[in-house]
Amino acid sequence: MIENDLRAAFARLEALTPPTGPVRAAIERAAVRRRRRRFRLRVGGTALVLVAAATAGFTAFVPHQPAPATLLDEPAPPTPTGALNVLLLGVDSMSTQRPPLADSVLLVHLPADRSRPYLVSLPRDLEVAIPGLHRDKLNAAFAYGAGYDPPDQSKGYDLTRRAVVDLTGVPVDAGAVLTYPVLRKVTDALGGVEVCLPQPIRSSHTRRAYPAGCQRLDGAASVDLLRQRRGLPDGGLDRDRNAQRFAAGLVRRARAQDVLRDPVQLSRIVAAVGPDLTVAGRSVLDLLRVVPELTSVEPVGLSLPVELTGGSNGRLRADPKAAPAFLAALREDRLAEWAAAHPDRVTPIR
Amino acid sequence: MTYEEFADARLGALLRYAVMLTGDPHQAQDLVQETMVRVQLNWRRVARSDVPERYVRRMLTNQYVDWRRGSWARRVLLRGEPDEVPAPTDHAQSAVDRDELWSWLSRLPRRQRAALVLRYYEDLPDAEIAEILGCAVGTVRSCISRALATLRAEYMEVC
Repeated sequence: MIENDLRAAFARLEALTPPTGPVRAAIERAAVRRRRRRFRLRVGGTALVLVAAATAGFTAFVPHQPAPATLLDEPAPPTPTGALNVLLLGVDSMSTQRPPLADSVLLVHLPADRSRPYLVSLPRDLEVAIPGLHRDKLNAAFAYGAGYDPPDQSKGYDLTRRAVVDLTGVPVDAGAVLTYPVLRKVTDALGGVEVCLPQPIRSSHTRRAYPAGCQRLDGAASVDLLRQRRGLPDGGLDRDRNAQRFAAGLVRRARAQDVLRDPVQLSRIVAAVGPDLTVAGRSVLDLLRVVPELTSVEPVGLSLPVELTGGSNGRLRADPKAAPAFLAALREDRLAEWAAAHPDRVTPIR
Repeated sequence: MTYEEFADARLGALLRYAVMLTGDPHQAQDLVQETMVRVQLNWRRVARSDVPERYVRRMLTNQYVDWRRGSWARRVLLRGEPDEVPAPTDHAQSAVDRDELWSWLSRLPRRQRAALVLRYYEDLPDAEIAEILGCAVGTVRSCISRALATLRAEYMEVC
């Protein structure tokens, strides 16, 4: 009987069980290391404070009052002028078993005329030159940089940033790495975010289903939605569009609740995400000072035009016809013009 | 219950379970270590569950099922050293290597293997297995019967 053979095989295997003593000690050592790392991140995170909602939230400052940074006594540095580009990376799990991939790469472009934010998605399957390495998918740049033992978010961010700069030719002024827990906490701290979908989506990870139309999602549902790629007509590209829809909803929500001018709410959000968020480049407060200058906070969602390479793994390359004009518009701060000329390439956000 | 009490009482059992899953003492140790570090750091959440041990076993099982299921990037590019376990030297290991059944077992999908360990080593009822694997009781049964069918077909042929 196979069942009995199984029991016997397992019983023989018992002899291999390692003694508990050394394992227990190794667990303690590893836990201490990980606690220290957490602590370091927390200290760094709080300093950056960040309206974590740097996510998209920083656009939510209502053009109205001076930003908090200007209330400080010390001489304020000049508000950044000219176009600004902020790189947001959404990474999957941070585990020590495997390096994380940046599956959402979103460049937030704030034009020099401060008319409104532009969200430019760069597809994760886009084949790019990884600086110092070979050509690979864009999402792997984070993995090459970060490694996994343990993953170093700032190195992953840095390598991805260099790949994006090489690709687009625009300087990146600041950026942040967002993990699913960060997004979940920000969303919950805001009391949910409204996302408007053009078509229904059924989760392939959970039993959730998202009908077409607008719906308010809590943190867990938002994260689940942002993970969905399989079963969508355009796969990863549609997921990028959903990320833009989510970002737009987040901004609307933050604005509706007046979060960024309410110190109590702001500190609640900062407390929720501070420890988990990694931010780089210009200080967040510095960037926040730009926000009151924005005429509108309703973002425009765009993507780098791409096509399949026809190679393995569903790799994409920049569309040779449409991409150069798009990138030139991005570099020369003419995205408004470009979006007006290519309405079919603008993501319907609501 | 404190984390220390839990570890004192259950670490041995978890290690044995991990050995059954991985078939290798070193991998078992890694698996348990990774899981228990997370248990320790999140002890309050673990302690709040009805049966902490089952919760931890579920964490460990998930960790095992997801373990290095990695994509091309993780497998091909990001490993410094080869993945192979060094050639077995000790007697217990070579005894296992002689075990035909064992080699078939190691080729099963990980969830199926976990289900077999939970039923035939841990002797848990199907309902509890379902809770640990995070699926329905019917799924556990079909999972196990598929695994047994595979083993029967492969193993019996050899014998």
